[in-house]
Amino acid sequence: MEELKQKLKVQIIEALNLQDTRPEDIDDNAALFGDGLGLDSIDSLELMVLLERQYQIKVEDPREGRKILQSVQSMAEFIQSKQPA
Amino acid sequence: MKGKCYIQGMAAITPQHTFEGDPMAQPMVVTHGNMLSCAEPDYRSFIAPNSLRRMTRVLKMGLTASLKCLQDSGIAVPGAIVTGTGKGSLQDTERFIKEIRDYQEKALNPTPFIQSTYNAVNGLIALQQKCTQYNNTFVHRGFSFEHALLDSMLLLHEGTADVLAGAFDEITTEHFFIKGRIGHWKKETISNDKLYDHPSPGTISGEGAVFFALTPVVTTQSYAQIGGLQMLYKPSPEKLNIALPKFLQQHGLQAADIDLVLTGENADTNHAHYYEILNGYPQLPFKHLSGDYETVGAFAMWLAAQILKHQQIPSQWFPMLQQQPAKLRNILIYNHFFGEQHTFMLLHAV
Repeated sequence: MEELKQKLKVQIIEALNLQDTRPEDIDDNAALFGDGLGLDSIDSLELMVLLERQYQIKVEDPREGRKILQSVQSMAEFIQSKQPA
Repeated sequence: MKGKCYIQGMAAITPQHTFEGDPMAQPMVVTHGNMLSCAEPDYRSFIAPNSLRRMTRVLKMGLTASLKCLQDSGIAVPGAIVTGTGKGSLQDTERFIKEIRDYQEKALNPTPFIQSTYNAVNGLIALQQKCTQYNNTFVHRGFSFEHALLDSMLLLHEGTADVLAGAFDEITTEHFFIKGRIGHWKKETISNDKLYDHPSPGTISGEGAVFFALTPVVTTQSYAQIGGLQMLYKPSPEKLNIALPKFLQQHGLQAADIDLVLTGENADTNHAHYYEILNGYPQLPFKHLSGDYETVGAFAMWLAAQILKHQQIPSQWFPMLQQQPAKLRNILIYNHFFGEQHTFMLLHAV
């Protein structure tokens, strides 16, 4: 799980071109949107694309996406739940 | 056009150092190679980091030039935003197309698609300045800027208090290669300062983002008056020969009243013959400074307005200049885009 979260942080920084952010700056449980990392609605679409490209997971229901993209922790838990045991 | 149109503010990001300081005092930037790229400023002074991270080059250039132009004019929220672009954001277009190929039309990133649309720069300006007024982008190859300018002049004529008019285009390595295959560029590699020593098929490419704040009222700050504009699509040499004196006559002028012609001469022997209509006029070419692209007319207009405001031609940019003209009241711009879209623009000193 720790390894997955680290990898996710690097992928998020690269995908969203967060130039002045380092992986260690992102708290596992901090909100990605609003007060946390300050991402916006276009970023949420880009994160959906990231999940599809990097982890072959397609989020069909936007309401589900809201919960999944809350934080790095929630994203990692979702990815792990979708991976074969 | 009966209404008057004055350039109240302007800004340009081009292959020359035109954005900051006194542009007329800058040395000529010499590039070895047939693809001129813009001297880009530090965008962070104009655009918030969170917005900047998503923007590609021409969006940053366009937005920054427009904001600097508004600053220069003292207008915060213009009555209209009207632009022209030949290609829009090529970087985004290329990225989007490549992703369609790489990901078999699935899992496509929305950002390059959104930003590849031609009106993306206008949208960014409107958002940044909270401008909900008329907003339009013209995409008509070599007439793109000219149509934006014509629309702006019509808006002023109809009572709009001020218009932000501009143009932006970029060149990428890939697009340079594609246009090279249809003969747009010279086969031999040259430096821009030696452009006119190499008359041969093709020219050199360029790019730029240039904006103007236009008003119907003259002030002490005005750079110049835009007196006239005419577009001719694929005219015959005979038609051009008649069109030029007629255009001047329509504006109450004759050849002797023109103090300088800025010509789009670009050492391309395929289309050089059109410029023969200017024989006998005092003239200077400008494309060694900018390269050639669809909306280069905006750079020519910026240059003409600078010359009229300063009442001096920057001799370091024009080594071919023999002597400063005795007066600089009327400047004519004649440009064409690879023989197809031809434009006359007339600027007067204020």
